[in-house]
Amino acid sequence: MHDGRFDPGGFYEFNLGAGTIRTRTRERVIMLSEAVLSSLVAAAARDGDLTPLRRLGELLGDHVLSGLDRPASVLSPDAVLGHVSAVTALFGWGRLTFERWGPALVIALRDKPELDEDDLGAAALLGGMFSEISQRQVSCVPAGESKFVMVDFEVAETVWGWFKDGADLPAIVGMLQPKRAS
Amino acid sequence: MSDREDRLKSLLDKVRAKRPGERAPHAADVLERIRTASGAIPAVQKTAAATPPPAAAESPASSDFSSQLPASSLPEPDTSPAIESPTRYSSQPPQVERPLSVEPRARSSSPASGAPMGPISSAPPRPSSGAPRAPSSSPVRRPDSIRAQSFAPTGQPIVYATDEPEFPRPKTFGDLLELTLSLRPR
Repeated sequence: MHDGRFDPGGFYEFNLGAGTIRTRTRERVIMLSEAVLSSLVAAAARDGDLTPLRRLGELLGDHVLSGLDRPASVLSPDAVLGHVSAVTALFGWGRLTFERWGPALVIALRDKPELDEDDLGAAALLGGMFSEISQRQVSCVPAGESKFVMVDFEVAETVWGWFKDGADLPAIVGMLQPKRAS
Repeated sequence: MSDREDRLKSLLDKVRAKRPGERAPHAADVLERIRTASGAIPAVQKTAAATPPPAAAESPASSDFSSQLPASSLPEPDTSPAIESPTRYSSQPPQVERPLSVEPRARSSSPASGAPMGPISSAPPRPSSGAPRAPSSSPVRRPDSIRAQSFAPTGQPIVYATDEPEFPRPKTFGDLLELTLSLRPR
């Protein structure tokens, strides 16, 4: 059984001579200030194209998968959460936890960088990350108070509309029901 | 002993009470001269009384005065480690506070009532009522359902609700994902 522990030791390799920072999977990363990144994300959100952030989320998902010894789908939620929260924290995206609201899985991302008013940047990042982890197209829809409802890609627009119309998280979950197998 | 000698002795005691170190030898000389003049004191006692101090500082009368104690023998201000130890102790949180730091967070994240569906953890709660409780030897006891810091290096605990879950706990992340991705608008 996977114990869910994540070893952050040696995650980054700083090469001052070459001026590079690489992760332990040899991927080069750069450091950005929150102010710079927020302006980029805000511009992307205005243009309606958050693909780069979704791509960044997929890279984080790759890091999560590289730390798992088995597919995430067969591991316990705790084990997956352990790696997801660790990778998220190592990249400076805040404290990630799972919450179950009835049948819905809700991602709470506290202390995250403030990128755009509607949290669409963080939503794109989380969507990309969990899509990579689950190998399915999932969306994380902002639901207020730094929480995101994980739903199927097809219903994301509907749920987002509910939230924009003023529905809070309990109301949103109350308007969803599991699809019965026919 | 004559009345005059009694008065002088009383006067001598008063003087000793004020400044015994300086006054005692001088007053003793005066008393000796008075006694010699009256002729009432034997020679042996005269010799003893005329002997100049160092005996004055060692006399029983003078040793009774605490004011004669040297300054070095006075009780010094208490600078023992006992004064500093509370500061050092307070900088080290007692171990018993660690479970306390987890428990309020776990409970505060769970709505008390009202909402039909509260935030539930990724693990099922264990009903506290009806479950046998082991006698606790400590006033603070970590709830069984909380396994804080078992997974995340950031140290945040998993939030466990205390209510009975409406939906069964998915055993795997895949089951959890299937359930949430099956949600559709009513």
